[in-house]
Order: sequence, then C-alpha cells, then structure tokens
Amino acid sequence: MTSRWRDLGLAGLGLVLLLLVPVFGAPPAIRDFIMFGMAYGLLAMSLNLLIGYTGLVSFGHAMFFAAGAYAFGLAMQSGKFSIPGAFVLAIGFTALMALIIGAICVRLNEIYFAFLTLAFQMLFYNIILGWVSFTGGDQGLMGGIPRPKFLGIDLADRTQLYVFCSVAFVACIAVLRQIVTSPFGYTLRMIRDNQERAAFLGINVTMVKLACFVMSACVAAVGGILLTLFVSGAYPNFGFWTTSGEAIFMILLGGSNVFLGPLVGTVILRLLNDITVTYTSHTELVLGIVILVLVLGLRKGPLDLLAERWENRRQAKAQAVRDAADKDAQTGRDA
Amino acid sequence: MDLDALLRCVGMTSCVVTQLTSGMIIGMLLFLIASGVTLIFGVLNVINFAHGSLYMIGAYAAWTFYQLTGSYFVSALGAAVAVGVLGVLFERVLMSKVYGSNVLMQLLVCYAVVLISDDLIKIIWGPVPLSMGMPPEFRLPPVRFMGGVIPPFYIFMILAAMAIGLLLWLVIGRTRFGSIVRAAAINGPMVSALGIRVNLYYAAVFGIGSALAGAAGALAAPVRSLTPGMGFSILIESFIVTVIGGMGSIVGAFAASIIIGLTRSFGSIGFPLFVDGVMFLIMALVLIFKPSGLFGRAHR
Amino acid sequence: MTSTESRRASRRQVLKGAGALAAAGLVGAPAISRAQTGAIKIGVPTILSGRVAILGQSSVGALKMSFDKLNAEGGINGRKIEMVVRDSKGAPQEAAKVTRDLINNDGCQIIIDAEASSAAFAVQEVIREVGVLCIHTNSETSSLTADPKLYVPTAFRTARQGIHDAIGGGDYAAKVAKAKGLKKWATCSPDYAYGRSNTGEFMEYAKYFDGNITVVEETWPKLFQPDYTEVVTKLLNAKADAMYSALWGGDLVAFIDQANLYALFEKQASFMVNLGDYGVVDQVKQFPQGVYSGGRYNRTVPPTPENEAWYQEYVKTQKSKPTNWSWENAVGAQFLIEALKKTNGDTNGKKLAEAIKGATIKTPFGDRGSITMRAEDNTTINYIIGYGLSLSKEPYISDFKMSPWEPILELEKQWKKKQGYAT
Repeated sequence: MTSRWRDLGLAGLGLVLLLLVPVFGAPPAIRDFIMFGMAYGLLAMSLNLLIGYTGLVSFGHAMFFAAGAYAFGLAMQSGKFSIPGAFVLAIGFTALMALIIGAICVRLNEIYFAFLTLAFQMLFYNIILGWVSFTGGDQGLMGGIPRPKFLGIDLADRTQLYVFCSVAFVACIAVLRQIVTSPFGYTLRMIRDNQERAAFLGINVTMVKLACFVMSACVAAVGGILLTLFVSGAYPNFGFWTTSGEAIFMILLGGSNVFLGPLVGTVILRLLNDITVTYTSHTELVLGIVILVLVLGLRKGPLDLLAERWENRRQAKAQAVRDAADKDAQTGRDA
Repeated sequence: MDLDALLRCVGMTSCVVTQLTSGMIIGMLLFLIASGVTLIFGVLNVINFAHGSLYMIGAYAAWTFYQLTGSYFVSALGAAVAVGVLGVLFERVLMSKVYGSNVLMQLLVCYAVVLISDDLIKIIWGPVPLSMGMPPEFRLPPVRFMGGVIPPFYIFMILAAMAIGLLLWLVIGRTRFGSIVRAAAINGPMVSALGIRVNLYYAAVFGIGSALAGAAGALAAPVRSLTPGMGFSILIESFIVTVIGGMGSIVGAFAASIIIGLTRSFGSIGFPLFVDGVMFLIMALVLIFKPSGLFGRAHR
Repeated sequence: MTSTESRRASRRQVLKGAGALAAAGLVGAPAISRAQTGAIKIGVPTILSGRVAILGQSSVGALKMSFDKLNAEGGINGRKIEMVVRDSKGAPQEAAKVTRDLINNDGCQIIIDAEASSAAFAVQEVIREVGVLCIHTNSETSSLTADPKLYVPTAFRTARQGIHDAIGGGDYAAKVAKAKGLKKWATCSPDYAYGRSNTGEFMEYAKYFDGNITVVEETWPKLFQPDYTEVVTKLLNAKADAMYSALWGGDLVAFIDQANLYALFEKQASFMVNLGDYGVVDQVKQFPQGVYSGGRYNRTVPPTPENEAWYQEYVKTQKSKPTNWSWENAVGAQFLIEALKKTNGDTNGKKLAEAIKGATIKTPFGDRGSITMRAEDNTTINYIIGYGLSLSKEPYISDFKMSPWEPILELEKQWKKKQGYAT
C-alpha cells in the first residue's frame, strides 16, 4: 500500500516539475522538446509493457499510435465532438482495434508474433494511404485540428496545451505504474519468464496477454493524440514500421528492465536527433555511429546497467554486513 | 479492383506468358535476396536487418566496377565478392558481438549499420540517382515467346538467379562444408566440441549470404536506378518472402518468391491498388495458420 | 525488491528524469532576441537524407547562391543574411518541430520551406500559429494555396503550381495528339497525391483541348517502387497511342531503363513531364526517341544570357547542375530579398507579407522576363510553362513551346470554381 502512495506522490512531483518549466520562463523550444518527448515517450513506455514486462516483442506497435492520432484528428475535424469526447472516442477505437488484432496475434510466440504485428501494422498503413477521401492519403490530415474550448480550457494557447499534455502524460505513466506494480503486473512478469509454468499455475495466459496488449495500445493511442495536438495534423508515417522501430530503439537505449527506462531512452534518442540535426547534415552517419557505440559498448540500456550495478553494490554491501556479522559471531565464540 | 481484366488476361496465352515471366523476374531477384536472409537466419539464428544495405552496396559496387572495367560480368562477380568480404567483416566485427543477445539488440546494430551505409553511399557517390545502363551484350530486342514478350536481359537474370540458387542448395545439401554448416545450425557448441572451428563457418555463412545480396544488387543494377536508401524497399519484401517460405529454408524462399512475384504481376492487373495489402495479408495468413512457413521447420 | 531499494531506485529515476530535463536545457539555449540589427536569420527546413536528398541539396544550393551574392553586395543595409538549414528527413511531424525550433530556438525570423508537399502542409500549420513570413519553394500541390481553408496570410508559394502545369501541358499534348492522331492514352504515375492530381489534371485538360482523347489504361506504381516490370507489361497490353507519366527523379530513370527493355517507347509517343530535369535527362543511358518533356530547368529555356549566366554560376559554386527545385528556390530568395529591401530590413511577418503580395520580380525564369506573386492567393504566375522534345545530349531539350498564360489563368479560375475553392 505504501508503495502505491509513494508512486502517486512521485507522479505528482513529476507533474509539478513539468508544470514549473513554463513558469520558470523556459523558452518554447524546451516545451516543444518535452511535448515531443511525452508523445513518443508514451509510445515507448506502452510498448515496454509488452516487451519488457510480458516478453512480447511487437514490431507493429505504431499502428495504435497512428490509430489514436487519426481517430482523434478525424473526430475533431468533423466538428461533432468536443476534445474530451474525441479523446475518449480515439482511445475506444484503438482499444477495439487492439482487441481484434490482439486476439489473432497473442496466440503466437516470439518472432512470429513480431512479424504478425508487423503485417497488421503495414495493412493498417496501406489502408490509411489508400483511403484518400477519408484520411487524406499520403498528405495526412490537412488544415489543422480545430480546438474548441472545453471546461474553460483553450488548447489553442500553447501554454495550456502544454499543461494538458503534461497532465495526460503523467496520468498515463501513473496508470502504467499501477499496472506494473499490481498482481496483474507480476503475472505479466511470470509469463515473460516462464510461460508454461504460468499456465500450469492456472493462469489463462492468452487472456492476460490480450489484456496487456489492449492496455498498451490505449496508452500508445494517447501518445498519438498528444502528437496530433502538437503538430496540428496526423500523418501516415505515424503508423509506418520505422516509427515502431524508433520506439524499440528508445526502449533499448534506455533499458527495458527499469520502469522509466524507455522514457530515458526517448529523451536520449530525441536529444541525439535534435543535436545531430542542428550541427550536421550527416544525421544518419552520426546517429548510426552513436548507436553502435552505445550498443556495443554498453550491451544493455544505461538504466539497466545502472540498476544492475546498483543491485550488485547492494548485494556486495549485504554480503559485507553478513561477513562482518559472521566474524563477530566467530570472535564472540572464540572469546 | 478489376477482376474482369484479370480473367481476360488469363484467357490469353500472350498475356499469361508475359505476366508469368514478369512474375518470375520479380520473384527471382527477391529469391536471391531472401535466400541470403533465410540462410543467415537458419544457421546463425540472426535476422540480418542490414541485408538491404548489402544489396545496395552490391549495386553501387557493380556500377563502379562497370565504369572502370566496362565488362558487366567482371563487375557483377566483383560486386558479389566485394559484398561477401564486407559481410564477413560485418559479422566478425559487429554481429558476432550480439549473437547471444535478444533480437532487439541485433536489430539495433543492423539499423545502425543501415544508417551509416546510407550516409556513406551518399557521401561517396552523391545523392543524384545513378543509372548503369544496359550492357552492350544485352542490347537486343525482346524475345517473342507464344505471343508474350521477354527481354533477353531478364532471361539472363532469371537463369543466373536460379543457377545461383541451385548452387547454394547443392553446397548446403551435398558438400562437407554444407553438412558442417547444417550441423552447426542445429547445435553449434557440439560441432565446436568435435574440434571444428565453428566461428569460421559462421563467418563463411554470413559471407555467402552477403555475397548473395551483392549478386542481387549487381543483377539489378542495369535496370534499376541507384539511390542511397534503395535497400529499404526490398528489405520488407524479402522478410515477407522469408516468413512465408519458412525461415531457414532455401526451397521455401524459392517457392515464396515465386508466389509473391506472381501475386505482384497478376495482381497489378486484377487489384493494382491492393497488391501490397494482399502481400501482407498472405504473410498474416501464413503466420496464423502455419507460423513456421510453407517449408520451415518448427522454430526451436 | 524491498521497499528501501525500490525507493532508492525510483529516486534515481526521478534524478535521471531531472537530469535529462537539464540536458534538454542545454539544447534549448535561450534564443537571443535579435532586435532589428545583426544578421537576418532564415530557417530552411528541408530533406537532406534518404532517397530524396537531391531535393534538399539543389534547394539549398540555389538559396545559398542567392544569399551569398546579396551578402557580397553588402546585405540589407549592411545586415548579412544567415541561413540555418535543418534536415527533417521528409517526416511531416519532424518538419513541424524543426520549423518551430528554427523560430524559437535559433532565432530565425523568416522561414523558407524547402520541404516536399506533405511536410509543407505541416509547416503551413506552424506558420498559421506563429505568423512569421514563410515561402514554400518546392510543394507543387495546388490546394496549398488554392484552398481558402488552408490560407495563411504570411505564407507564399514560389514553386510551380500543379494546375498551371496541367493546363499548359494538356494544351501542348492536344496539339501533338491532333497532329499525330494520338487518340488512346495510357498513364503511368506514382500513386500519391502529387502523382494522382498531376496526372488527373493533365488528362482532363488534354481531353478538354482535344475531345478525341480517351484514357484506356491507368497504372499507378508506388512511389520509390524499384521494379516496374508489371507496369510496363500492362502498358504494352494497353496498346495505347500515347502515354503520360508524372514519374520523377530516380523512379523515372528506372522506369525508362526498364521500359526500354520491352521497346515500349517505339510503340507509342510519350509525355513525361519530369524528364527534362538535370539529374534525370542526363542519367538515362538508353535514351528513348520521340519523348516529350515538360519544362523543368534547362539552361536554354529561355535561351537568354541571364539564364546561361545563372546556370554557369550555379555549376561553378555548387559543383552540380541545378534542378527544377533550384530555380523555384532562387525565385523565392529573390522575392524575399526584394521585400526585405522594401521594408528596410524589418523582418516582421505582416510587413514582409504586405511587401511580397502582388510583387513582381525580374527573373530569367519568367515567361516574359518576370514573375508575379498573385495577391489573391499568394502563389506565383507567369513563370515558364511548356513542353519540348527531350534529347539525350546537350542542350537536352529542343523545340520548346512556351504555353501562353492567358488561357491558363482563365481555365484555372474555372477549375477553382469546380473544386469549390472560389472565394
């Protein structure tokens, strides 16, 4: 129980820190960086629920990112929904989509699951591209996203948009944290570590995987909505396999075994991206070299490494304490 | 959707011949590339996401050698060998470090290599699309066969790809080298315990797989436009073929390439806007009903 | 994990997060607000990597040439122009973010948007919000300026407009069709917004000018598709008299190489609007005979000394040949420079927009030596439109016929009404 309150407290602290950014007069560039980071961060964090906690490697997660983005964008452009209404609609649509696709995919294991999610993602992408009259095809949703006021909040104002995104972001992270620290979350880890044993213990593995799939899809959809609000449009490459790939890199660069690892990975990748774009036209070369150095040098995500070293140091300390206690006991006996 | 056009075509021999050959053209090139992917996966249990880059380097190498020597055959051979050597280097220096890690680390390493090679190609050869042109040996009028039309270069390309595929199948199936490789695919440490330096064989397999990609690039160079990033498009298709055919099966790759080739060629008449969608649908169906692919063994 | 360890670990997480935010702060160094002194910074989002890298290279080349020349002459009242070029890799959301960063982070007061069409729409939304001056130099999609819903008062376009090209091209094609009896037409264009609208509009106006023209076959290869075999065989089967294609760049080179194998060009006349560009026309190895190309950029079109001088200057300074994108960017730069001279260096979006609206510049790329920025929809008119016969060597085009602008403008009005764009 205490850990839940602690987590919520930390979430609140995080939210306060985020909200202080515009208050302390940080330039809009930082706010833009953070908002971009929040959208992609949700994509990466939600994917890690599948990869890091359940052991389900999905190559097609970006389809839910795109689904949320397009559903929200189309709902707002139709003029028939308020922002909260469109928000709920987009998440609902994505949940339904995940339910259907997940029911087919979660029965497969490992690399086959990965390729099947990829196949579905590319099917979805081709539909977005092909249905030009509805989705705008390769040009995406043009003309901007209308932002009518709701509850006195006006999302056309960049500061209010930032606050809204921060709240949505922290709420989703808190939800993910609750999932991960709940008994359901430990069931996920059990499935990751030994699926057969979990089944023998009476767990309906397929159902659990499906539930996890749908939940992570919903969080990814929120990320898509945030990105749509930020760029005032939705584009097909939100659902292209390279976006799924980016999410995987964010997880790997940050660490898949620590809860906030993917978020750190998102920040690292976005920073790398922004810095290389600023200083060189050879963005691909620099990015590739940096990734190689990180991967071959570290072999794991930095947070994973730190967590491991922390764990080792803690165990070493605990061992030292035990050795000292043994020694005392020994000297005590000798005396 | 234009299914009447499709039915009409199937009724005419000339159309059937033309579309069959066009399907083979697409399919055989895909087969060369996919065979490399499936070989590397079958033996090393590694998905080489950088395979498209090897194809691209093969094409650019062939172009450069052709400018220097003027002989297409020398250039093609040279390109295949060059990319094979590059593949061995790539394996020894980078891929072997992530053999044991999970597939995502391998993906990351390959992606980094893709980025680097794309940019290096752009720096060395420039961003302007390059064209090799048809070598003079093949500047012949198209061959007429049962009313259909087939350019001579494509006949060469199909035969070359089939020959290479057959050679590969024989080497893996019938030679000592091949049996060691197959044994290493099943149980590497055991082969090593028999006193064989398994790492050399791993490197050789990667080299062969890469040379296949390089050969594909060299075969494609006269009829394609060379741009940095050209490896991208064939990468996804080669994975579709590998999955449908069965990962690790060369025969599967052959069958699946032909299926995809025919889907593309007949599909462009019957359902031109859904061809990509149909390909992914086939892949999805195979994964749902027979995940190990048409000819693959159940994945260990 | 016991509660103490997890508390420590999560404290670490919070610290990590704060550290990351601080690092982000290094990136977002506060933009020093430049008063109306100091260098004039112009942000240029474009594509510098991947398959379309040539777009960015030729756009930036032309811009650099124009601004270097201006700076050598003393700049604007002594203030030099500084370009800040960023690669968005063609992804629209990156283009939007890059544009915002250029304005917020790098202190750019003006944006020259050298993005391709889909990203141009994303940049347009940023400009709508921020209100700086923006010139789109590469996007040919008509709706960017034609659709009143997308209108932004400080955004202008100096790229050619699809509908103008289509009307001019259709007129030319109809004349050739009547002369040579080309009744049955086939099309082969990339399956995306540009390819579809360009081809659809061209055939519509070809049919308008010559009622005997019918479209018997349409093929839509995917953009960047490497293999055109099935498209070529379909075209062969169609047995058309003529073909139109909006393929461009490397795709067009590959298509021609592959179609040559089937001797496709011997069987029909071909109209390929994008063939005339350097980088394509001089790359095709087996050049087909009797192929017509639309006017892209060519040193002999128009055959004036000013054009030749610009070409020589570009080749000398940029070490490559200019493309269609190059002249469009040069025109954009010139409009901007003249507007800055009018406002005396004031970079305020509204003031610059007023100076550009309706302006006319003298330029070698204009129909009669000049190009005008039409006030009603912020897009250019009177640039060179036309078709000619493509050649395999210098000057790469012959018998170039310039399309007259009066009929183009008239038909454009009707087209706008039909699309529902009339204001």
